[in-house]
Amino acid sequence: MSGLKMKDLRKSFGAVDVIKGVDLEIEHGEFVVFVGPSGCGKSTLLRMTAGLEDITSGELWIGDQLCNDVEPRDRGIAMVFQSYALYPHMTVAENFGFSLTLARAPKEERERKVMDAAKILQMEHLLDRKPSQLSGGQRQRVAIGRAIVRQPEVFLFDEPLSNLDAALRVDMRMELSKLHQQLGATMIYVTHDQIEAMTLADRIVVLNGGEVQQQGAPIDLYNSPANLFVAGFIGSPKMNFTKVKVRSADATSVVVGSDELVDVMVPLSGRKLNVGDELTLGIRPHVLTTDSIGALKGTVDLVERLGNETIVNFRLATGAQWLAVLSGDIVLKQGEAVNFAAESKDILLFGADGRNLATAS
Amino acid sequence: MAVATAGAVNAPKKSRVKDRQASMYPIWLLYPAAAIYGILFLLPTITSLYYSLTRWTLFNSEFIGFDNFIQFFQEPFLYQALINTVIFAFVTSGLKVVLGLALAVLLTSPLIARDFLRSVVFFPVLVSTVGVGITFTILMHPTEGVINETLAMIGIDGPGWLVDRNLALYSVALVDVWRGVGLATVIYIAGIVSIPADYYEASRIDGATRWQQFRHITLPLVRPAMFTVIILSFIGGLRLFDLIWTMTKGGPGFSSDVMASVVYKQYQSGFYGLSTAGNVVLFVLIAVLAVPLNMFLNRKVVTR
Repeated sequence: MSGLKMKDLRKSFGAVDVIKGVDLEIEHGEFVVFVGPSGCGKSTLLRMTAGLEDITSGELWIGDQLCNDVEPRDRGIAMVFQSYALYPHMTVAENFGFSLTLARAPKEERERKVMDAAKILQMEHLLDRKPSQLSGGQRQRVAIGRAIVRQPEVFLFDEPLSNLDAALRVDMRMELSKLHQQLGATMIYVTHDQIEAMTLADRIVVLNGGEVQQQGAPIDLYNSPANLFVAGFIGSPKMNFTKVKVRSADATSVVVGSDELVDVMVPLSGRKLNVGDELTLGIRPHVLTTDSIGALKGTVDLVERLGNETIVNFRLATGAQWLAVLSGDIVLKQGEAVNFAAESKDILLFGADGRNLATAS
Repeated sequence: MAVATAGAVNAPKKSRVKDRQASMYPIWLLYPAAAIYGILFLLPTITSLYYSLTRWTLFNSEFIGFDNFIQFFQEPFLYQALINTVIFAFVTSGLKVVLGLALAVLLTSPLIARDFLRSVVFFPVLVSTVGVGITFTILMHPTEGVINETLAMIGIDGPGWLVDRNLALYSVALVDVWRGVGLATVIYIAGIVSIPADYYEASRIDGATRWQQFRHITLPLVRPAMFTVIILSFIGGLRLFDLIWTMTKGGPGFSSDVMASVVYKQYQSGFYGLSTAGNVVLFVLIAVLAVPLNMFLNRKVVTR
């Protein structure tokens, strides 16, 4: 069993650079989630790890083996595909044991390993079925079973839950989490769904434009996003942003404001800011509250009352659309002017280069 | 009250008439096609069944029961033709199934000028069969044909392709394969490209070599295409006439006669009733062999 290391990994398709130098170290037994929007390179990075895409430059180490030019079968990996890629002409048992059949493993060993995997996934009663006779969730489990049978050092998952309905996705998410604890294997999981990333990962790697934007524990990414992209991508609903200007700054705090925002003081130390500097202010929808003397003046556009919480869509004077998620059932009318407030510790500031001022070095 | 009841009864009646009018509409659209099919296919089939039971001179016919069939089965070279027909069908369809698959696998792998090569393989399908027959008759000439002249250059004494009694049928079969393998290849290519690339990637990770991928993925999943090729080429082989007729006319002697050429010879000699009976026999032979084959193959198709 082993971890995985990527050193300045790059991939180009012709003149197009898809992966622009990824450095990453994954510990043995870690559950790492690559997350990012479509086209950010997360699937390509996973396929490079699997050996399905060539590595243009850089080094890929799995355990203590340099794997750049190693065949997929010799990398000690198993992959679960988005489409599941179950062989339609084989039964569940044959799908499970296909890698062992190819390796000409003795029948006894094959049957034992297939049965072990079936037990882990509680699929013993389905072993004689063909994939076409299974439901979406069962097919997903067969795909995972096929990976388990290989006893890989690293499991690779390429958006494995995206073809399932919402309820099943939640169930499978929990099953995957349990499976990870049970097997204790290294897992790399690709998704564009940040809720999957938040719930499953020991560590999230946020990718955009072929570069790692930030990596860390899910809650650290949520609380201290490194830049505007991560701040906007992690968390649901999305973080609200508005442009502000520095009104005054001292060693421990900065006062920012704008036409639609009464001046607010944000604690910030070790930054040299000048009066008039343009910054971006970010506030999560969940930390906003209604407050008659709140610094944010908004006009209510839409109210969604869910009982336990109220989602308010409101407009700032500049026309920017913001969202507030208020706890409890709050009655607000469309067109009503409402003041919102947030605690200063929950306010994030981003510099002109998009970096979080509180965390950037 | 009475009026209301009458209205209530009348209303569904009206709509039933409307329903019938509505359901007639699509049926009207079927008539033109049904008429063409009836006149060009059903009518000749049924009348040929009738004429096979008559002594027929094109101007009048006399009902003679199964005499034609009895006489047909007493034809001295019929059994040779029957065996030849089945051999021809098996040889040509077998070679088309195997060579077509090999070519399709080759032409779906990354190759230089792949699209051009696909056109080249398909080209013979577009050429008239009679043209192909005449061309190959010249190429296969025992002394002046290009094939034997080429063989002679490397010191091989070429056989009498079309004049050897033991070889003529197989020579024609080879030409039929050359002419028909392009169609089989195209059907196979369609089958192969419809296999999702994920299966190949998953099997690569599972440890499959190229050969194992072919054996465990391509071969089972290309089956629907393979069955189409088997059925089409087998039926085509059983009823082949034009190539045999242009290349050997069933000769030398009767050594390359097939059912269709026997039937044609009877027709040429003016035995219209007899040749029609021969056609009915050929039809039954094809049905007896092809229908169970088709049913057997369809049972084996994998649902994705």
